[in-house]
Amino acid sequence: MLTLAHFLTLGALLFCISVAGIFINRKNIIILLMSIELMLLAVNMNFVAFSRFLDNMDGQVFVFFILTVAAAEAAIGLAILVVLFRNRRTINVSELDSLKG
Amino acid sequence: MTLAELQLALPEIFVLSMACVVLMADLFISDQRRGLTHLLACATLVFAIIITLNLRVAPGEVFFAFSETFIRDRFGDVLKLFSYLVLLAVFVYSKHYLRQFNLFKGEFYSLSLFALLGVMIMISASSMLTLYLGLELLSLSTYALVALNRNSMIGSEAAMKYFILGSLASGILLYGMSLIYGATGTLELAAISEGLTMAAGESLLVSFGLVFIVVGIAFKLGAVPFHMWIPDVYHGAPLAITLFIGSLPKLAGLALAIRMLDNGLGGLHGDWQGMLLVLAGLSLVLGNFAAIAQTNIKRMLAYSTIAHMGFMMLGILAGTPEGYAAAMFYAIVYSIMAAGAFAMVILLSRAGVEAENLDDFKGLARRSPWFAFMMLMIMFSLAGVPVFVGFFAKWQVIAAVLQAGFVWMAVLAVLTAVVGAFYYIRVVKLMYFDEPESDEPITAPVDFRAVLTVNGLAMLGLGLFSGALITLCVNAFAA
Amino acid sequence: MPLTEIVFYLFGGILILAALSVVTVRNPVFAALFLVLAFFSAACIWLLLEAEFLAIVLVLVYVGAVMVLFLFVVMMLDINVAPLKEGFMRYLPVGVLVALAMAVQMFLVFWTRGSADQPMPDPRPEGYSHTRELGEALFIDYLYPFEIAAVILLVAIIAAITLTHRRRPDTKYQDPAKQVQVRREERVRLVKMKSEGGES
Repeated sequence: MLTLAHFLTLGALLFCISVAGIFINRKNIIILLMSIELMLLAVNMNFVAFSRFLDNMDGQVFVFFILTVAAAEAAIGLAILVVLFRNRRTINVSELDSLKG
Repeated sequence: MTLAELQLALPEIFVLSMACVVLMADLFISDQRRGLTHLLACATLVFAIIITLNLRVAPGEVFFAFSETFIRDRFGDVLKLFSYLVLLAVFVYSKHYLRQFNLFKGEFYSLSLFALLGVMIMISASSMLTLYLGLELLSLSTYALVALNRNSMIGSEAAMKYFILGSLASGILLYGMSLIYGATGTLELAAISEGLTMAAGESLLVSFGLVFIVVGIAFKLGAVPFHMWIPDVYHGAPLAITLFIGSLPKLAGLALAIRMLDNGLGGLHGDWQGMLLVLAGLSLVLGNFAAIAQTNIKRMLAYSTIAHMGFMMLGILAGTPEGYAAAMFYAIVYSIMAAGAFAMVILLSRAGVEAENLDDFKGLARRSPWFAFMMLMIMFSLAGVPVFVGFFAKWQVIAAVLQAGFVWMAVLAVLTAVVGAFYYIRVVKLMYFDEPESDEPITAPVDFRAVLTVNGLAMLGLGLFSGALITLCVNAFAA
Repeated sequence: MPLTEIVFYLFGGILILAALSVVTVRNPVFAALFLVLAFFSAACIWLLLEAEFLAIVLVLVYVGAVMVLFLFVVMMLDINVAPLKEGFMRYLPVGVLVALAMAVQMFLVFWTRGSADQPMPDPRPEGYSHTRELGEALFIDYLYPFEIAAVILLVAIIAAITLTHRRRPDTKYQDPAKQVQVRREERVRLVKMKSEGGES
């Protein structure tokens, strides 16, 4: 029988995978951006599951807004990535070390 | 939705409309007359001040609107007024810089006004949803501002770092919000506060969500150990933008913490107090000690921000109305001081070359005695020398911590403040006792000089008459 | 095993595997495609949770727009993949350790809480419209956030254009207004010439 815990666990696993992804992909900014998208998916999974089990629409409304904001965020992130690439000809984070101290 | 509800949100509606007007008007303004955009943006802020003052709510009064997603109270009104004032100073200071560095674009003004709108939405949020949306509006505008100088290598790098860590922080905060929603079944902060007492069976889920929320807030405030983006972003961003992110978002950070932790999760005060205690202690120690080692003035001020945020958190963790008032007083005073300090760095920048190093301050007293004196007052205030307003801010916060019973924390705060005084006073020493490295005269437009003078004198004036501002903050939390 | 459970484990499994692939493959194009798969499986699970509108929006907005944007940027930037592999193994142990520690804690919290075994509520009655429910909530209770979301999208547009729009000096522009307004004198020049003295 499917319980709330099943869905929360799925969200938790996604969240942990995305955190691990941010840790291990320090060099590849595109994959970093994708890990952040995964993290938002984990949050959305939680909201949808809670909303269904609590029989309350608010959670789904929140998901709707997270989807909107995530799309805007992706657009800005990729725009910054393009600017960075034009300046540096690389998206390798390890080479982004002019700021240290 | 009724007319009365719209009237409550009039300041927000006005700022939004004017941000769109500035955006559109700028398209028809030629590059030589860009000053018009600047004037329009400043006029927006002046009228926003007038509107908010006219519609201000009395202490203790609270109004809700738009199905309880919007709250209008005294705390919000006071904080919004200071947000306008700080942004007005930022606009005046940055015009000079933007002209010199070829960044004088209309987008700076429209994005800043949208960021201000984000701050106002956060200040007036009474639902986790509006709090999150305001935060994102502020953050997205700021990411773009940091990358405003598209040809700057370190600028785009700083923007990328800021973007990734900022999005990560939002993600963590959201995960915490989803758990709180699951435990209480509502997004409204007031309802969450009530729901917490009923959701006794869910206490594990609630405290788990709380951890994520505190981590998210700590990221946004830049508290140690989630501070690593602050020095890089301050350093990499164009100075005018550093001035912006060094001042206005601090008020938003305070609003985020108070709305979320007090209005929403006030019932869990015992749980989050301990977490804030650790974050504040680490920030005070690391911020102050790391600042000593810096030779770059922007990085030094960045680490000093971390320490000051630690001080502000001390007020919040007390969890009493007095503590919140002290934190609010601290945040307001800090954003004014930070605006003045970064303005001084702008003053020393010459066309195309940012003043970066502490050595640029050498012998300033001989090149420009008046502005050296202004910087002296700002530095003394940041250091917390008595008579200046920074001292009273620290005093209030420490009194609140003592009242909450954390004597050792108060002792730590005082000790780190003494360490911190060292690097502020070092700047004063450089200005007054060292030989100037160049004898170029200091030039700045008259409006810049006027605002900087007011800003510097405010350190002393607000210090001498600190009672008025303190009363204002205390009234904001009067029940 | 009832059908709902089969669906849950099938798509849940695909979702986790796709998510793992996103963070471990080196080629950003593959990562983007795996992310598409992850979003698609998540949408299927949301259908199971009777969030039909959101499931479809996830596919349309995310797979249809955001991931295509990602792929565009990946292709446009012509990234050299080789150097991106370095350091992967170095951070792998830390990353896995942190993730495992978090996962264990989360399991403990979710499976020991009071209502962990709360069963799925009964399916909604026939004729129930999820889209209508969501629309009513959105446009009555959440009108103010809806307006803010519009402003956020506006900011994204301004930011993206400000950051990436370049006016190249060597590009040749057409100005239709000018083209339409052209007058005869600007295009045609009548030259009066003396006719060559013809022999008559």
